[in-house]
Amino acid sequence: MDVLSVARRIPTWLLPLIAAVIVIAFPYLGAQSPVQRQVILICSLALLVSGLNLSLGYAGELALGQAAIYACGAYMTGYLGSHGYTDIVLQLACAIAAALVIGLVTGIPGLRLGGWALAMVSFFLVLLVPDILQLFANQTGGAQGLTGIASPSLLGKTLTPNGFYVFATTVTALWLLVLRNLVTSRHGTAFRVLRENPVLASSVGISVFRMKLSAYAIGAVPAGIAGCIFANLDQYLSPDSFGFALAVSILAASVLGGSASIYGAVVGAVILTLGPLESTSFQQYSLVVYGLLLLVGGIVLSIGIAGVLQRVWARVQRRWLPPARSAPYEGDLLPRTEGTALSVDHLVKSFGGVNALQDVSLVAQPGQVTALIGPNGSGKTTLLNLICGYYRIDGGTISVGKEQTTHRPYRIARSGVARTFQTPSIPREITVAEAVRAGRYATQRAGFVPAVLRLPSYRRARASDVEEARRVLALVGLADQENEIAASMPLGTRRLLEVARCVIARPKVLLLDEPASGLDENEVERLAGLIRKISDSGGTVVLVEHNFRLVLSVADQIYVLARGQIIAEGPPSVIEVHPEVLTEYLGVRVPEADDLLRTPSEVADND
Amino acid sequence: MDAVWSGLALGAVYALVALGYHIVFVSSNAFNFAHAQLIMLGTFIVYWGSVTLKLPIGLVFLLAAAIVGGVAVLEERTAIRIVRGTEGQLVTTLGFATLLNGATQVIWGGSPLQVPFFGSSNVLVVLGGHVFPDDLILMGVAVVLTIGFVLVSRMTVLGIALLAVSEDREAALMRGINVRALGIGAFAVSGIVAGLLGPLIGPKTFAVATLGSDLALKGFVAMAIGGFGSAPGALIGGFAVGLIESEAGRYLGASYSNLMIFAVLLGVLLLRPTGLFGHARERMV
Amino acid sequence: MTEPQNGPASPDVTQPPAATGPAASPGAPLLSVNELATGYGDLRVVWDVSFEVRPGQVTALLGRNGAGKTTTLRAIAGLNRVQGGSVLLEGRDIAGLPPHKRIRAGLGFVQENKRVFKRRTVEANLMLGGYTRSIGRKGLMKAVDEIYELFPVLRGRATTTAGQLSGGQQQMLAIGQALMGKPKLLMLDEPSSGLAPSIVSEVMGSVAALKSAGLGILLVEQAVEAAVRVADQIAVLDVGRIVMSGAASEISDLEIIQDAYFGRVRERPQ
Repeated sequence: MDVLSVARRIPTWLLPLIAAVIVIAFPYLGAQSPVQRQVILICSLALLVSGLNLSLGYAGELALGQAAIYACGAYMTGYLGSHGYTDIVLQLACAIAAALVIGLVTGIPGLRLGGWALAMVSFFLVLLVPDILQLFANQTGGAQGLTGIASPSLLGKTLTPNGFYVFATTVTALWLLVLRNLVTSRHGTAFRVLRENPVLASSVGISVFRMKLSAYAIGAVPAGIAGCIFANLDQYLSPDSFGFALAVSILAASVLGGSASIYGAVVGAVILTLGPLESTSFQQYSLVVYGLLLLVGGIVLSIGIAGVLQRVWARVQRRWLPPARSAPYEGDLLPRTEGTALSVDHLVKSFGGVNALQDVSLVAQPGQVTALIGPNGSGKTTLLNLICGYYRIDGGTISVGKEQTTHRPYRIARSGVARTFQTPSIPREITVAEAVRAGRYATQRAGFVPAVLRLPSYRRARASDVEEARRVLALVGLADQENEIAASMPLGTRRLLEVARCVIARPKVLLLDEPASGLDENEVERLAGLIRKISDSGGTVVLVEHNFRLVLSVADQIYVLARGQIIAEGPPSVIEVHPEVLTEYLGVRVPEADDLLRTPSEVADND
Repeated sequence: MDAVWSGLALGAVYALVALGYHIVFVSSNAFNFAHAQLIMLGTFIVYWGSVTLKLPIGLVFLLAAAIVGGVAVLEERTAIRIVRGTEGQLVTTLGFATLLNGATQVIWGGSPLQVPFFGSSNVLVVLGGHVFPDDLILMGVAVVLTIGFVLVSRMTVLGIALLAVSEDREAALMRGINVRALGIGAFAVSGIVAGLLGPLIGPKTFAVATLGSDLALKGFVAMAIGGFGSAPGALIGGFAVGLIESEAGRYLGASYSNLMIFAVLLGVLLLRPTGLFGHARERMV
Repeated sequence: MTEPQNGPASPDVTQPPAATGPAASPGAPLLSVNELATGYGDLRVVWDVSFEVRPGQVTALLGRNGAGKTTTLRAIAGLNRVQGGSVLLEGRDIAGLPPHKRIRAGLGFVQENKRVFKRRTVEANLMLGGYTRSIGRKGLMKAVDEIYELFPVLRGRATTTAGQLSGGQQQMLAIGQALMGKPKLLMLDEPSSGLAPSIVSEVMGSVAALKSAGLGILLVEQAVEAAVRVADQIAVLDVGRIVMSGAASEISDLEIIQDAYFGRVRERPQ
């Protein structure tokens, strides 16, 4: 047991750190030049793969232009090196800058495209590399290649081969550290949410555009670094090194090592570089192997070796080293919140000439549960989407408190409107606690740099994230499951998780979109209790539901929507017997509503 | 006029690649990046049949159609059927293309192979420009295939079923249409057509394994210009790309051809994403 | 007895449909659904639903939105996975059959929202409806003609794109399309939604005519009154369960249905 408790305290980053130090120290442990060259090539590929992993594995965008950005960084370095600027730090800075520019410039149109179009555009860049190099043949040597790159120097002194090796490996290790800090921070969770469902991302306050652009830009940097290293390695550059075979091998290494993994980039790079492909008799099979890897890997999707190992390791950990359970939360589970009134005034919305909403007005007061019911096609979903900013308003206004809302979902989320979705879409690899913490993204802002550098401001934000997550998980009764994988939980639990995620941000307005659908009676009861608690503590709750019993039991005010208009409003006792509501739901024509008390044959006789 | 003919000839090849994309896109809602590589495989089979085995041209056609069709079915089973979703399919079809690329290089080596043309190789002068008979046939085939596809899809029940599947897969299932079988069938047809094009495209481009990715990308641009989901669009888009390539090469220089195509691609995707004849998709949240 | 306002076009029907008459055909049920549980993915929307449809009879499935009516139909059609219970078509368990095979086995489904192929012509839509029948082009055109007899307004619009038809015409096209497959069991999902009352009567009249022709019909409706008039059996769904069911002739009070709609359980007067 002693061994286990000690083992529990070992941080997960210790092993990779030790490995990195050993690798950097290779020359002083007797490694000769051929081994050093292999390691540098691995570093180069690992950097390229890490960039792809960020945009593909985390942000979910298939941006395949790494090979082109790599060429850019390499030729920038080569140009500098052949014109007397041999300081390697200068070269690195220029390579990174060039990579960032290209990354941003190609990223901006790419964001509007997405999917296949983005993949094709970025892949096309690889096709353009030889042409662009030829156009600038004076600077790049064109098809003949760039020769005469002088040896790199640092602080005025020429770097020895050992020195260069240490520089290359250290820079690689530092970059991987930066990435690791980034993806283990809440930004990593944000990327994952973005990948899973951009609509969900904007509902927790993530600006989809800015996030995707960040992923591209950050993913371009390691390609630039790799280019700088590569140019100085052989001191010669040829366009042939930057073709499709390279682009495919980067993707293959990513898939092999696990696209959503930082260490996976290293694993993939190691296997592809050191594998049997290096022996010349196998060289001709390299494309076949890459193709098979992609085919099989693609079939297994983004779960590569590292991913499978991660899961196995996680299972082992949970059996032998169960993570320490947080102590039960002592404190106010639902501190008093200042909810704000949500008011919708004379809202109008039409789609292509068809009126979805005509002159809809309603008010949701703080401390109350306001329910919105109505048949399908009545406009409930449209109304909800308008409140959240997914559509433009055609007429009327929506106000949260005194402020009118704008047509930007993430801004509305950041102003304190939280929303659940009918189909909870939760990223696959995160735990319950991480999923809930994602809700803080909207209102508790923290930048990339503090996260990467683990500055005190970041640590404080993180500590309060964790604390708040404990509170809300205790509130919804999921405290025991905080370390479980969120996506594997049953539906009822995931619904509660959604509510917890919304509540953690102490929203001014909480919108619940059919939270009871698919739940059994016990789960509905639990949900009802939770809704009442939230409104009792001062929050504004808007509930869209079909489950009439639930609505009758928790709502303070009910609005009935039908064919784009509010046909009735009032407390449950009034709505329950309201003739127009009966008409709408029973489909009986209005004048005959009174006839409901008569029998069908009596009605017929009077026609 | 020479440049126009050469542009149209190139364009015919791109159009044929785009048509292959179109058939699969319409029936399975998938984008088969490996289609161009299937065409390349066809050219190698033709080389093998004509030069190595010295078979009569009729048998070569059959051989190419059969082998490439079979490989296409294999691709459908592995790369498309099991994998759902754009991202996964991109990786698997790209993988299959790379696999074919590597396999053909292993079997036939990496150098371009000359594929003999079964017809005349004498250059003709038409409308003031030089053009090979092979090129004229290719252009004609592209036009005929497009017209044929449009006719079949409008007039035969099977063709209408295909269009129905691409419009609303579920509703098509509810009419008793075996959507899965249709998808496989269309994929196989795209492979057979790719094989049959081998004797025509091979003499023009040579049997070059690495040309597949170049054709694949330009075929995509053809679809982007013409509009996804439109066969006439694929045809016109293909010719457009070919003309842009040859005219840019003529007036600006060889290195500018691909750059111009790229610029047009970006322009179309940003300004008119549905292309010339494509269908606008509704925004859904 | 009420007279139909705009009678159905079929010349065979001269008597208004009897809403309270006894079942026309005895014998085994055409469709038998037992303790069905289904939903979307792992979302369970339907928990326990059982009912039958007999040849020549209409079974009406009523309930508010979200009760699970469409989900039930989709499970019978094979579009949703059956998570529990069984679905028997002519005594045969069809839970393992893919959707297109169920159509071939005699199932017809008119989905909600007038789901025709909007980019194809009326004629193409109808011909597609006959996809499963191996009667050759001539046979298909003849069958299309029969549909025009039933819905004359479509005949003049044979070459119009379906997207340009009015709501009522699209609904008729959808029904005609399903009928082209010569189904034994026809499922209709809210055929009256969004239609003017006069058109609703027309549509219900057609339903009655089909019943007389021997089809078994499973009718899902929000318009209770119209459905009850044409139904032989009624079942009311609430939150995925049947809360009330019985022969239409035994339901003398619409209030019972109203209660069922609002989830109130009421003792039925004996």
